[in-house]
Amino acid sequence: MPFLLLGIISAIFVVSRLTPADPLVSIVGERNLGNPEIVAAAKARWGLDQSIPVQYVKYMKNVLKGDFGTSFTTRRPVLSDLWDRLPATLELTLFALFIGVVGGLTLGVLAARKRNTVVDHGARFFALLGSSLPWFWSGLVFLYIFYARLHWLPGPGRFDPRATPPARITGFYTVDSLLHGDIDAYWDSLRHLILPAVVLGWAVVGIVSRLVRASLLDEFSMEYVRVARAMGMRERTVVNQHALRNALLPTITIVGFSFAYLITGAVLVETVFSWPGLGSYAVEASRKLDFPAIIGVSALGALAFLLTNLVTDVAYAIADPRIRLS
Amino acid sequence: MAGFRVRSWRAALAIGTVATLALAACGSDKKSSTTTAAPSVNSGATGGSSPSSAGGTAQMSDKPLVIARSMDVNSLDPQRAYCDTCQIFMTAVYETLIGLDKDNKTLVPRLATSWTASPDQTEFTFNLDPNAKFADGTPVTSTDVKFSWERLQGLKAASSYLVSLIKSIDDSDPHVVKVTLSAPNSAFLAQVNASYLGIVNSKVAQANGATTDPNTDKAETWFLSNSAGSGPFELESYTEGSELKFKANPNYWGPNGPKFPEVDMKQTDSAVTQRQQLEQGAVDIAMQISADTAAGMSGGDINVEPVSSFNFVYLALSPGVKGGEDLTPDVRKAIREALDYDHLVDVTVGGKGKPQPSPIPNGFAGTDGLAAPAQNLDDAKKLLAGKTYTFDATFPSINVYGVDFSTAMQEVQSELKNVGITLNLNPVEISVWADKIGGDGIPVTMLYFAPDHTDSSQYVQYFGLVDNSQWVTWGKVPADPTQNEQLSKAFATQDETARAQVYNGLAQKMIDDQIIIPIVNPDLFLASRSDIQGMHYSACCNLDLAQLSRS
Repeated sequence: MPFLLLGIISAIFVVSRLTPADPLVSIVGERNLGNPEIVAAAKARWGLDQSIPVQYVKYMKNVLKGDFGTSFTTRRPVLSDLWDRLPATLELTLFALFIGVVGGLTLGVLAARKRNTVVDHGARFFALLGSSLPWFWSGLVFLYIFYARLHWLPGPGRFDPRATPPARITGFYTVDSLLHGDIDAYWDSLRHLILPAVVLGWAVVGIVSRLVRASLLDEFSMEYVRVARAMGMRERTVVNQHALRNALLPTITIVGFSFAYLITGAVLVETVFSWPGLGSYAVEASRKLDFPAIIGVSALGALAFLLTNLVTDVAYAIADPRIRLS
Repeated sequence: MAGFRVRSWRAALAIGTVATLALAACGSDKKSSTTTAAPSVNSGATGGSSPSSAGGTAQMSDKPLVIARSMDVNSLDPQRAYCDTCQIFMTAVYETLIGLDKDNKTLVPRLATSWTASPDQTEFTFNLDPNAKFADGTPVTSTDVKFSWERLQGLKAASSYLVSLIKSIDDSDPHVVKVTLSAPNSAFLAQVNASYLGIVNSKVAQANGATTDPNTDKAETWFLSNSAGSGPFELESYTEGSELKFKANPNYWGPNGPKFPEVDMKQTDSAVTQRQQLEQGAVDIAMQISADTAAGMSGGDINVEPVSSFNFVYLALSPGVKGGEDLTPDVRKAIREALDYDHLVDVTVGGKGKPQPSPIPNGFAGTDGLAAPAQNLDDAKKLLAGKTYTFDATFPSINVYGVDFSTAMQEVQSELKNVGITLNLNPVEISVWADKIGGDGIPVTMLYFAPDHTDSSQYVQYFGLVDNSQWVTWGKVPADPTQNEQLSKAFATQDETARAQVYNGLAQKMIDDQIIIPIVNPDLFLASRSDIQGMHYSACCNLDLAQLSRS
């Protein structure tokens, strides 16, 4: 894994440096691009006056020491930026994943049990909608309906603009407010989570429900299910106790991929909801060609993918006794 | 039985989840309010303020002021900051020697009570207010001014061009600052008023790593969470991508102190979201409401007022670059005359703006009497003599001051087609645009400009065909010796009438050059809750937080 990560970092470094774009515009402003003194000073400060191979060697030496450089945009160490922003994205994606998995399981089981009925078609249509609607569109529409018109839910951001968020312990506002014993803060942060998490999670509902439905229908055709029904077991027991457990195996894999999928979706959703997470950080970094930030967030993303795969493999082995990791 | 227990805990989990979500959704939003009456929309003069202006006698509010803004902070280091949000921050925290009155023209005392300029405009003397003190209670002295400006010069960050002519600063008298310039510069007083020349507490800054040498300076990180100014506010905290928080300076020495215990600037990217937050009462001020968003705003608790601004969007023609060879004076004039400027204002900002004759914006010295740009299709076609032309038009895909560049360029493309000129539009990220404009150049492009200070010279230095001008470099065109001479003449005198005459001549020359064609001078929308007083637009500073109060 370390070599894979270093390879990914190197690839991103090279690609970003070879992009025909000038990062100086975000450092000095387009108004000063023609001022040779200011441009030279900026290039010297950020190491952009050196050749790309020299920049690469210096950068990788620092990476091996755990230093991912300083962001052109925030003027802070990239690792500090990532550390500050990670909890916001994790809180959002985990909540979205929870909504997606619970919703997907529920819909998938319902659709399989009521196959070819209105319930089945409705569930599948709902799931398809979630998978096909673009996140930024759903986000804007949900904000308009539930925040601006109906006032059911709060607007963008993680917390009430007029209140002070809980002091950081974990960086998860919901968890931190409970740890501080502040129930009002807990409800406020939870309410702010709902809209963006539903927007994100809806896509996962679609993916999970279709897979659960298909897997369950396969299991329903198996002999052990016919035997269980013939023995007079309640349908709920047949589905939940026996068929679903086997149908969940491919779902575990897809849940792992869904988490990674949600991280990419968070880029758009965080921008729409002014959510100060890694997604909005990545967008700003890309727009401003903030090389250190781009590499830092990409490396973190790659690490997240690798770890997710590992966790998925382990979960699969736990769920299926026939599989043993060696 | 096992099946019953399993079923019941699953059911309990499902019910609990739904109940939690429902309870959370139904929880009251204490800060929201619904409003029903129409907003009050007033027409404003240039840099106007809302009808009930805040005076120095307004009481301190017991609630913080909350502002929604898409922040563009590059740094909170006073000698490195250079952005629109930075202007607001600097004005609130780091005072300048000279302030700007509400008319956006008159220079008024701030840290300096008075100032003089030598007849040849190379020596400037500022008498500091002996009462001026920093937030930690220590007095503001000439040493602090010297350090601040020398650090700005030495670090060579983005705003350092404002002090590039400073040759020496004499701080032998703690209450008098004597500045000697390497060349005459009558614009220096206006530059001193620029928020980027705010004064930092030199002792505190140096104790935290600030130096005048970029190789040894280490203070930028410290400035991200601390401030050392004399302004009515101090930096409370900054969470990048989320919030910039100010707290009232309890030791503020000046007459116009803070009227809020705290000002919280919240990162909100979209104008529509800012509007929603304002209407809901979640914020007190929405700073970037565009014309089309303002049209949809409703509610008796909100004030929405368009005021003239000095910002503008322009088309730039570069005859000296590859692909721009056909941009002869006649073709450039034809382009200028082919455009329907009133229609462009309608399309880009819904009519909430004005055409602008020259690259010096309406209201600055030298713009009186300049003829508004007018469409003349017949003359345009005559100039082109039946020929057709095609130009590459790469431009940054941005939305600035409510003007969507893609929309604006599509309209320009459509209007130029009427006279046989085809633009191949190529919207790109600004960093890609910057790479191209600095390399081979771009024959036709679009950009924007907002003032850094109140003197017209900045426009000549940037847009005119003078030595080291940006558009001489980017357009790859030769400088015009007469424009150089005229600019030097303007720099050599403080006589406002004489300077205005010179700038008027230069403005006309820039119009005749047809290198820069202003497309629209958009209005700015002051959008706030109706209990907020003192809303305004400041040419130097964007928004002066000390002028705001709550009724």
